[in-house]
Amino acid sequence: MSRVDEILALVRHVPPFPKVAERVMFLIRDPDVTAHDLAEVIQYDQAITANVLKICNAAYFGLHRKISSLDEGLVVIGHDILKDIIIASSSARFYQGAVGGGYGLEPGEMWRHSVASGIMAKILVRHIAGVDQGSAFTAGLLHDIGKRFLSGFVADELTQIVDKVEKENCSFVEAEKEFLGIDHAMLGGMILDKWEFDQPLVEAVRGHHSPDALEKEALTAIVALSNSLVISIGIGVGADGLASELSGRGLKRFAITLEMLQLCMADLLVELDRAQELLNICMKEQG
Amino acid sequence: MVNMKVIVGISDMKTSSNVSDTLITYSLGSCIGVVIWDPVVKVGGMLHYMLPESRIDRERARKNPYMFADTGVPALFQESYRLGAAKSRLIVKVVGGSQILDPTGLFSIGKRNYAVLQKLFAKNKIIISRENVGGSVNRTVSLDVGTGRVLLKISGRGEIEL
Repeated sequence: MSRVDEILALVRHVPPFPKVAERVMFLIRDPDVTAHDLAEVIQYDQAITANVLKICNAAYFGLHRKISSLDEGLVVIGHDILKDIIIASSSARFYQGAVGGGYGLEPGEMWRHSVASGIMAKILVRHIAGVDQGSAFTAGLLHDIGKRFLSGFVADELTQIVDKVEKENCSFVEAEKEFLGIDHAMLGGMILDKWEFDQPLVEAVRGHHSPDALEKEALTAIVALSNSLVISIGIGVGADGLASELSGRGLKRFAITLEMLQLCMADLLVELDRAQELLNICMKEQG
Repeated sequence: MVNMKVIVGISDMKTSSNVSDTLITYSLGSCIGVVIWDPVVKVGGMLHYMLPESRIDRERARKNPYMFADTGVPALFQESYRLGAAKSRLIVKVVGGSQILDPTGLFSIGKRNYAVLQKLFAKNKIIISRENVGGSVNRTVSLDVGTGRVLLKISGRGEIEL
């Protein structure tokens, strides 16, 4: 079996994305859906239920009483936050433990990078039209899912990969692809495809390291830009460092200036502070 | 003596006159870490700023001056003077200012972060004794307040003394 076959065989064994997420996302499209209808579905997923309660009892909402039922919790948080919680809880289970070690990431760092990218993607929706916040957040959260499964293979070739990046000043994914026959963005696209996510999302994850990503579909551009900014700030960055290529040429198309990007970076720090609970979803489950 | 690790976050600054402290900041990408140390009074400081100039958001700079070079650097030096450091004795080291690979140079925050610092230092006659800036790497830097030893770790490439 070749190395690529070995990696692809792994994709066949990737556990499914929680079904609850899909069903809630479907239900939520109906504006008249009741908290009770949603609770009926959500209650079967213990992790999501616990996270909904944890988050609506967090200081952020400033409630004076403790919420202990799912129905009541769903009314408090509203649909937008519920969507974030569901996607975050469903994704968190794939980022638990010592994942990303092959990339030189400490435990928890991949999750921090993913949450930060999801939040940055939502911030960027202000400047890039045609994308809803939910898709932006989801794509941001899952863009590096391929790393989760490629990490062990990268670990075996890390010295060679890093050497190539250093000597040829190429991107890390380019070297990754040369030594492994596949890179984490391609693999991530395959995984999202297997999980039956919408095509724009699959494409965004697959294309997030394309140097011309800013000239592609809006969601792909958002994820690539979000990832680049989060890497620049240094949140959840491993041995790949900033060796990621993205041509700034496409920024013109969205009339985005360097100053606007700087303000987005400043906003991210504030938003990340507020999203501590979301970050903790994974950390607490690990402990 | 127990060595205390004092973490400097993103857009953050710490100073110390406690010789058992180690100031450390993790994961500098396009951000810049400025490390200062006075060998006579053994006072150290570290700033981790994210953006070059505060004029893009004065309100934010007022709330957190450490986010920007032009407000964070003066704050770092002033705080070290308060602890007894003298400008003439301060050893200054600079780390960070990386960039993602962009042939158009439009994502130039790292470069701008460094350029503003150079201008600021030139104006105030401050000389950088050591630096490790630019490229596309991720850096972690620490300062041992007791000895002034500065360690630089580059992700995937090991640790060196700066």
